[in-house]
Amino acid sequence: MSEKLFKIISKVMNVNYENITDESDPSTISSWTSFNGYVLLYELESNFNVKFSIDEAMDVKNVADIKRHLKNHGVSLND
Amino acid sequence: MDNEEPLSKYILDSEKLDINNFNKKIKVAFLSSFTINGLSESLKVKCSKKQIFCNSYVAGYNQYNQEILNSKSGLYSFLPDITFLILDTRSIFGDLFYFPYSVTKLERENFVNEKITEIINLITTFNETSNSKLIITNLSLPNYSPYGIAETKTNYSFHDAIIDFNKKLKEKLLNINSVYLFDFFKFIIKHGENNVFNFQNYFFGDIKISLNYIPYLANELMPYIISFLGLTKKCIVVDLDNTLWGGIVGEDGFDGIRLGPQPPGNAFIEFQKYLKALSQRGILLAINSKNNFNDAIQVIREHPFMILTESDFSCIKINWNNKASNMYEISKELNIGLDSFVFFDDDPINRELIRENMPEITTPELPHDPSLYSEVIQSLDDFSTFQITSEDTNRGQMYLQQKQRTESKNSMSDISDFLKKLNLKIEIKKTNTFTIPRISQLTLKTNQFNLTTKRYHEDQIKNFSEDKNILIGCAQITDKFGDNGITGVFIVKKINSDEWLLDTFLLSCRVMGREAEKAILYFIITKAKNNNIKRLKAKFIPTEKNKPIENFLPSCQFYEKDGFWIYNLDKPFNMPDFLTLSEE
Repeated sequence: MSEKLFKIISKVMNVNYENITDESDPSTISSWTSFNGYVLLYELESNFNVKFSIDEAMDVKNVADIKRHLKNHGVSLND
Repeated sequence: MDNEEPLSKYILDSEKLDINNFNKKIKVAFLSSFTINGLSESLKVKCSKKQIFCNSYVAGYNQYNQEILNSKSGLYSFLPDITFLILDTRSIFGDLFYFPYSVTKLERENFVNEKITEIINLITTFNETSNSKLIITNLSLPNYSPYGIAETKTNYSFHDAIIDFNKKLKEKLLNINSVYLFDFFKFIIKHGENNVFNFQNYFFGDIKISLNYIPYLANELMPYIISFLGLTKKCIVVDLDNTLWGGIVGEDGFDGIRLGPQPPGNAFIEFQKYLKALSQRGILLAINSKNNFNDAIQVIREHPFMILTESDFSCIKINWNNKASNMYEISKELNIGLDSFVFFDDDPINRELIRENMPEITTPELPHDPSLYSEVIQSLDDFSTFQITSEDTNRGQMYLQQKQRTESKNSMSDISDFLKKLNLKIEIKKTNTFTIPRISQLTLKTNQFNLTTKRYHEDQIKNFSEDKNILIGCAQITDKFGDNGITGVFIVKKINSDEWLLDTFLLSCRVMGREAEKAILYFIITKAKNNNIKRLKAKFIPTEKNKPIENFLPSCQFYEKDGFWIYNLDKPFNMPDFLTLSEE
């Protein structure tokens, strides 16, 4: 499932799949603007069929945070 | 309704576009009272599908006042062709959006009037500073009111104030050139407030149109681009069996086809009504059908539930020929280019045949279910024009007269004999509020008999008509079959005391081949002679489509010198004697 997550990030942020890690954040992915960050959450919501709260959305600072919130919504990432 | 791609796909795709792949270009600026990230990217991708490169400028969020009021702003230095100003009810109404009843009825009325004045002042400044067309949105109507069900029992309520704002804005804009209203109110009705607006988006980034609805908004802006670039389609060509009626007349017979008040016949009636409405606003209709002529024409002439009549069609091809060759024939007879056609056919093989052989023609997918045909025709954005002129609403009638002319031409052996009997009258008209929109429209749409193919918008035509160094006019052409309307345009630049230059010289395709152009040229030559001008210069700028005018200048005794065509005005110019020329 991590693969699915990374593929979505790669597509939305227009970066190579191989360059994405749990530590990736706006400092390592230059296209990760606040707007694209929001587009990403939007895509994740529709792809994983979840709904983030505004607190969760504001809390996301890097990929690891996204994984944590997805897990809280019951999405199994099998890492 | 088409399902849209997610916004992220548009954003990604927009980064991959290569400017060199497009032959048409447009510059679009976006001003807004809220975050509209992703809109310019969506519009770029949609433009690219029509071979248009859209260069865009997106002003900072809620910076529209500053951008318009500062003559040195990024907006003005970008030199946009079209500027969209997108407003929302929350921003315009401010605190009154939440507390409309904290003030009196009179104060609500005054508030609306003040806001209208503010916006009109902004528009006036914009118009004085920029040549761009301005498209401004009206306001959406929220379902919410603090009064709940009592809202409708309240005099000049919160909702009334919004409706009043929209009504007044529309009335003011009716008389302002080059400013148009985008009906955002209707956009929200189409998609639903609960879908388009979501509180989370709003709190997160002042996003008042949910991300997945941004591409839908871009769809609604496309008609402005199409219309600006003169890419409006002129003719819809339809198949008959399973397109205008259900079933196959050759097999099911006159009584067996599905067309009538019972389903599925009512779906075809509905589809025909949409086609008829388009024809009444100036889109031509034609038939391209593989059928026995007598079977099919009997349905058109005699079936009690046919909405479209024979005279609604400007060209009818019912035969067993290949549909592609029929399309060529239709294009030739109506004298309009293949890229001006939309083709409706239920048969995927015919659609593929046309797409492969004539990619210029728009051939939409038709769903298998005829109850969806009307939706397809409503969703096409190819027929839009900024304004409907009286020529548009009379066009079908004019082409019908054209058909009679052609038949009359075919029945006569000698072309000059035909022209003599046509009783052609050319009346030269000056520019005024009625002719300016039509003159602009002709420069934007005419491709074939057009010497220079220069495209001019209304404000440019208006400026020309106020310039004493420019002679501009148009020609209304009538003949014994009827009035063709304003179908000729000329713009002459008075370069110096010896020379005038033909900047624009064109005739609409529907009056080509009758030598009316010679009367217009005679008028210009006479004017020039009266002003003691020595030479009339002209330039022929060849395009893929203007071959019909290629020999016009040499055939009128112009000679070529240093890249120009020149007519010495000491020579007499003979206008064919079967033409009658007059001046308004």
